Amino acid sequence: MNLEEYRTVFAAGSLVMMLIVAAPTLGLIVPFPREMERFSEFWVLGPNHRAEDYPLNVRVNESYSVFVGVSNHLVSSSYYLIYVKFRNQTQPLPNVIASEPSPLPPLYEFRALVANDGTWEAPLKFRVLEVSYNDDSMFIDRLSINDVVFVVNASARWDLEYKGFYFQLFLELWLHDVASQSFRFHNRFVGIWLNMTT
Amino acid sequence: MMMLLVFASQFYVSVTIAHISESEASLTLTSAEGAVGSAYQAVVRAEEAGANVSGLLVRLNGAGELLAKAKVAYRCENFDEVVRSACLSFEIAESVKNEADELRVEAYGSRVAGFWFSLTGSLIGVVAVGFGSFRGWHFFKRRYYKRVFGMKLEVRPDES
Repeated sequence: MNLEEYRTVFAAGSLVMMLIVAAPTLGLIVPFPREMERFSEFWVLGPNHRAEDYPLNVRVNESYSVFVGVSNHLVSSSYYLIYVKFRNQTQPLPNVIASEPSPLPPLYEFRALVANDGTWEAPLKFRVLEVSYNDDSMFIDRLSINDVVFVVNASARWDLEYKGFYFQLFLELWLHDVASQSFRFHNRFVGIWLNMTT
Repeated sequence: MMMLLVFASQFYVSVTIAHISESEASLTLTSAEGAVGSAYQAVVRAEEAGANVSGLLVRLNGAGELLAKAKVAYRCENFDEVVRSACLSFEIAESVKNEADELRVEAYGSRVAGFWFSLTGSLIGVVAVGFGSFRGWHFFKRRYYKRVFGMKLEVRPDES
């Protein structure tokens, strides 16, 4: 190796060492974009914190419980609103394709502030308090959710295929939008079917 | 916000005296909703500045739970409960907002100080490496010339 080649090696080595020494500051100045998938998880678990033993055949004045949970993977802390709604088989569910929530009024609600990669969970206890029958229809007049009583006035016709009076308790996930200072439907919902038995 | 707090506190005091009207309950609820929203924004800004907001989030969650309780009570037309829960939610949210603002300023200050510390360290490091390389190169060059000029020519007899 001649002197010119030695000089090139020396210059390159020095430059690399300078870059290593300056790396912590360069890291603060130059933004390094990190591509991460941003999403929220939303679930309902059975009374044993498992995806099993969901209440299906429901009796009047008997208490049932499930667990509602949200997990935040949106890179920053998030403010969620969860609406609890009640419907029969013919009433509308949220439209996920159009990103529209169900037009049914909410009964109960949860609000949760979840840290990034954090999880929030709360119990949801419910009890059907008052029902009435008329020919092949059943009416649920009052429903208790987490010890708060709601007048629901929901009716269901006898389902010939599945043999029962079916209602659905479903939950919608909404997310607080900092820019508009309001909640928007986060396009996620979960629910459990309830067959009212005598 | 302070005016709203005073306004809402009047309702809270009056709970013990008389029943609350729907419009009063609605107004208190709106104030509490706005306060929790603002507190959340303040917490997000503090988090972006690099502050540890886990404690604030726990408290704000409490405010959110109370707000949800107030909203449910409003749907059930239990306006006394609306005002009671909404006022508590408002107070927690306001204190969280103030603390989040302080934390953001602190975090921003330490971030700026950290940046200058890092920048100074890097500059000193770069200059030291540059100077060391320069001196090293001259040392190496001297030894190289000494080695080359110190060589002696050796003449070998022709063996053929």
